[in-house]
Amino acid sequence: MKRLLPSLRGKKRYIAFELISEGPVDRSDLVKEIMSSASSLLGDVISSECDIKVLGFEDWKGIILCSNNRVKETRASLAALTRINGKRATLHIFGISGTVKRATEKFLQIHKVFEPEIETKFRMVEE
Amino acid sequence: MGKPKFYDFCVHAIPDGDNTVEQLATLAMHFGYSGIVIANHSDKLSQSPPLLVSTNGFEIFRGIELIEENPSKLNSLIGKFRKSVDVLIVHGGSETVNKASLENPRVDILNHPSFDKSSGLNQVLAKAAAENGVAIGLTLRPFLHSRGSRRIRLLSALRANLDLARKYDVSLVLSSSAMSCFDLRSPMETLAMAEICGLEQEEALEAMCTVPEKIISRKRLVSGYIREGIEVLKERDYF
Repeated sequence: MKRLLPSLRGKKRYIAFELISEGPVDRSDLVKEIMSSASSLLGDVISSECDIKVLGFEDWKGIILCSNNRVKETRASLAALTRINGKRATLHIFGISGTVKRATEKFLQIHKVFEPEIETKFRMVEE
Repeated sequence: MGKPKFYDFCVHAIPDGDNTVEQLATLAMHFGYSGIVIANHSDKLSQSPPLLVSTNGFEIFRGIELIEENPSKLNSLIGKFRKSVDVLIVHGGSETVNKASLENPRVDILNHPSFDKSSGLNQVLAKAAAENGVAIGLTLRPFLHSRGSRRIRLLSALRANLDLARKYDVSLVLSSSAMSCFDLRSPMETLAMAEICGLEQEEALEAMCTVPEKIISRKRLVSGYIREGIEVLKERDYF
């Protein structure tokens, strides 16, 4: 199928984030939790308008895509994330940008992932 | 107007919550807060008061969240703790407690006044809160941790309280009421959450910046505060 012209595609925003969690998290688990938290907080109709997609997630950092006029709603639904796979987690947003390139340069390369004693301590307790 | 300073006015540290003051402070600083208030519940106070060090412009304030059902006992507790803490919060949730704390000008904040089947406020209490300068505390944690019917009930109680607060000009304070590091949310996400829950953007900003600053400055004028980082502590003046 022919690809949609750029001027006809919807405008997007790219959210650079880090994840702070008790244990290791899979990309698929993260996607599942984000979707369920969005549909629970906003309802299915508005969640579909947000058009949330996880573009990439590795090494506790990643980028989420959303529609440009539903950034606030997306932010709130990401904030409502409390547990991933039964383990407590928090999603912290570094910033929002209009292109993947800019989001990576501006936020992901500069910001160091929060590496505190908190995580390691929790892991030690679990072991 | 510079960058707004965000405060989280209700954070529970060990032994009430799961994490130490230092851990919570580091994370809050990383998230971009300018200060937090360590407000443990009054039934779970630590024996030795934690040392609160404010560094690089990040301030940690002493607070307390009083739990007491009996109004006369609550008033005596307020008298007991008022001098030693910066921020005095009352754990709301029943008609008598809400009434007693909103009618007492020495209280700073009444947290989550709603109880089952009622938003916890009415026109009489809202008027009293405005007169006595008691702020209504909106806590984020219950909204994050509940889903479905429970969250719906919380949200409708919040909306009812918001209407009253707007009508009678009651100030609001938005806080996380975090029990652990994983309950903390960064200021921008808290604002987004508040806007989804029905607050206007300016209201939410005011509830995280202006009102907390006002409460802190009230305290600074009275106590032995000299300048940032220096204050006169009397012996046994803490907790």
